[in-house]
Amino acid sequence: MNARVAVRVLAKELRETLRDRRTLMMMVVIPVFLYPVLFVLMEQLALLGQRRLEEEPARVAVVGGAPEAAAFLDADSVLRVVAVRASPERAVADEAVDAVVVFAPPAGEGETGHARIVFDDTRDRSRYARDVLDRRLEGWGDTLLARRLAERGLPAGFAEPLAVAGTSVATAEQKGGYALGRFLPLILILMTVLGAFYPAIDLAAGEKERGTLETLLTAPVPARDIVAGKFAAVAVIAFAAAVLNLGSMLLTFQSGVFRFGEAASLSFSLPLSAVGVVLAVLVPLAVLFAALFLGIAVRSQSFKEAQSALTPVYILSFLPALLATMPGIAFTPGLALVPVAGVAFLFRGLLSGDAPLAASVVALASTVVYAGLALGFAARSFGREEVLFGSGSGAAPAGSFLERVRGWRTAGRGVPLPAESLAFVAAVGLAYFYLGGALQARLLERGLLASEWLLLALPAVAFAALGPYDVRRTLALRPVGPRALGAALLVVAGGIPLGWAIAWLQALFIPVPRELFGVLEKLLTAGDLRRLIWLLFLVALTPAVCEELVFRGVLLQGLSREMRMWRAVGTTALIFGAFHLSFETAIRFLPTAWVGLLVGYVVWHTRSLFAGMLMHFVNNALAVVVVSTPALRSRLVTPEGEPSWLLVAVAPLLLFAGLRLLPRRTAEPLDAAPGGSLTPA
Amino acid sequence: MIRIDGLSKAYGGFVAVRDLSLTVEAGEVYALLGANGAGKTTALRCLATLLRPTSGTARIAGYDTVEQPLEVRRRLGFLAASMGLYERLTARELLRYFAALQGLEGAGAEARIAEVVETFGIEPFADRLCGRLSTGQRQRVSIARAVVHDPPALVLDEPTLGLDVLSGEAIYRFIDSARSRGRAVLFSTHQMSEVELLADRVGIIAGGRLVAEGTVEELVGRTGERNLARAFLRIVEAA
Repeated sequence: MNARVAVRVLAKELRETLRDRRTLMMMVVIPVFLYPVLFVLMEQLALLGQRRLEEEPARVAVVGGAPEAAAFLDADSVLRVVAVRASPERAVADEAVDAVVVFAPPAGEGETGHARIVFDDTRDRSRYARDVLDRRLEGWGDTLLARRLAERGLPAGFAEPLAVAGTSVATAEQKGGYALGRFLPLILILMTVLGAFYPAIDLAAGEKERGTLETLLTAPVPARDIVAGKFAAVAVIAFAAAVLNLGSMLLTFQSGVFRFGEAASLSFSLPLSAVGVVLAVLVPLAVLFAALFLGIAVRSQSFKEAQSALTPVYILSFLPALLATMPGIAFTPGLALVPVAGVAFLFRGLLSGDAPLAASVVALASTVVYAGLALGFAARSFGREEVLFGSGSGAAPAGSFLERVRGWRTAGRGVPLPAESLAFVAAVGLAYFYLGGALQARLLERGLLASEWLLLALPAVAFAALGPYDVRRTLALRPVGPRALGAALLVVAGGIPLGWAIAWLQALFIPVPRELFGVLEKLLTAGDLRRLIWLLFLVALTPAVCEELVFRGVLLQGLSREMRMWRAVGTTALIFGAFHLSFETAIRFLPTAWVGLLVGYVVWHTRSLFAGMLMHFVNNALAVVVVSTPALRSRLVTPEGEPSWLLVAVAPLLLFAGLRLLPRRTAEPLDAAPGGSLTPA
Repeated sequence: MIRIDGLSKAYGGFVAVRDLSLTVEAGEVYALLGANGAGKTTALRCLATLLRPTSGTARIAGYDTVEQPLEVRRRLGFLAASMGLYERLTARELLRYFAALQGLEGAGAEARIAEVVETFGIEPFADRLCGRLSTGQRQRVSIARAVVHDPPALVLDEPTLGLDVLSGEAIYRFIDSARSRGRAVLFSTHQMSEVELLADRVGIIAGGRLVAEGTVEELVGRTGERNLARAFLRIVEAA
């Protein structure tokens, strides 16, 4: 690589960025000025609100009880006892008073008296009144106690044999570090991500949109030198954004403008060595995001397109950092391996002053590795003709989205657009989740049956038949030859044990809800032949038909119109996996998506939904048969869910044979029609 | 100096350029005429190493565009209408950047930049950000950028598109002087007047093929028409 060129590019990109108001806003103005202002403002507002609450005494009413109790309450200047006629609940609800104390009829000598505070949890003044009343009534209780003790001639300490007080050994610095460690990693990572976000788009897709990339590529320098320079620029900007944020935040806390800290006896300071390590960890983190974002952004043709491609990545890459804000999760080497999360934990550890060495090293090293991978990805994205110039024409794709829609409409009946398919699946998914869930809760197995046929199959067929589509193509209802069916069977036979292996590996990280699976197993276990046939119909045949119509039918066919094979099949598999999610069954996601991937791949190549239905049926039916046949089951999986490794070893061979046997996707004559030409052939 | 041999370029099933061959010698100005979508831009992009030919070769000063793209780019000044400028750099900074990417630095670069600034009358706006320049000013900066390394071969895709008379004139003068300094110039255009004014030879491209080639007089004479515009129409309709 020619470092001179990369440095030239870096210098030019930084110069341009520093002249860009948007980026400067994000990098400098927001962190340096906004934090102090925001914190001070928040604090002032909170104090102001508190003061306003305390300005006026809380208006309370007293029902029942001794007059001297009411007098005791009224003696406090922050309370004013008023009379009300309405019921206590009414009076509070109508805001005639802020709270009402209802004393129960006097208890006998030496017994506990009872009082109830009626208040409105959703009104600030009412809650304040409740707090004040709580304290004051406690005082009244103490008065009564003192009176009783005095009557019996007992000392005041008689009723309190033990007084408990806590003393924290943490210093103010440690407490501050702990509080800082909870949220600062999140903000640091967020700022690094945000810092890389716009520059990556601007330097890649933005450059393409403005036509300057073409200019740049006529210069006699290799694309990799250019990408190196650009990547360095994005990383520098992301790093600078994070550092500015860190500095500004620490200064804000230390400068004393922020008084809450003092009140809670926290002290926000960082030892210089910790700052050094934080900065050192920020470098690979910035590199990781810069390379990842740049690699994605360069595949987009415009700023807008890049923004929509990057937004999910941005949110997903940030999510793992949330783990570090959860209480009770320790920083282990295993967690340190999780991208972004490892760094978040490391930051947390550094700020609170206890970062375990092994985990810290793992987090740092793995981040360096991820950054390297992302860099490779970015370099690969660059320097490819179709990436640089879209489909290769060098011009924007012909026609706007609307024009393409119109062209397709006039071209006659076809397959739904990706957006239409996605909207359909979203609607069906919602209906299935809410209506189907209710049906299943009420009608159990018959509810499941009804929701599959009525909420999945029926809408899919209706959508394809009643919409402006070709039913046969939208649902991929094409005949399929014996060779393709054989291939499909081999693929699913190889895929199932691999799916078990995936589930087992996953179980090493995520705890399996055993009770739930016990219930599920009982449901799937057939005692007799009749039950077996019913179960095969209910959980194998029905989903194979109904779910395939929706996912490999409408969804995959729609996505395949405009997406390349892997993207269409992958997206379908992810949505299929998500469809099988519920609160308890997060662990089903990966295995289900894996099956979805295989089925989608086969359906894409054969263009026939029937191949998919067969695979889906075999997959589900096998589960029923295995669960119902203990002898078979014990050979295939251990009770802990560990699959037979012999089977797992053979599986790739079957899978590979199936993929080899699979007929290649052939072009359809209809695909040559306008609109259809977008389908990769 | 510029040599295209049997070049074809296809996108999927669509063939944009078919079996195109032409040469431009040093000291020669060659005009490529063709309707929109005829394949001019694709052919010129192949020459500029921005696209890879499906078959055939393109060479600049003997270097193959696929085998030695960097050598080609060192010897080629390429300009296309779709090429943008960095809006947040000044004209001078932009020229300095591309000079550096061409390997020119220091006093040599500054001298060369001063030369192109003078040639294209950029001085009045040389220190203004490119984003603030008018269309004509931008085009002059663009062409200055393309020739800042003083290449022996020039490929200009519609260099006068959307320009006023003044800016257009600066570019005509430049092409004329490039010829007299022994540069090979290949440019595409829709404007017959430009061709008549500048071109030593003309190639007419239709449906991705070179359908006629010769001097302006030859083409007009061959078709028996009054002028180049009518001759062009006749040739393209016959193709």
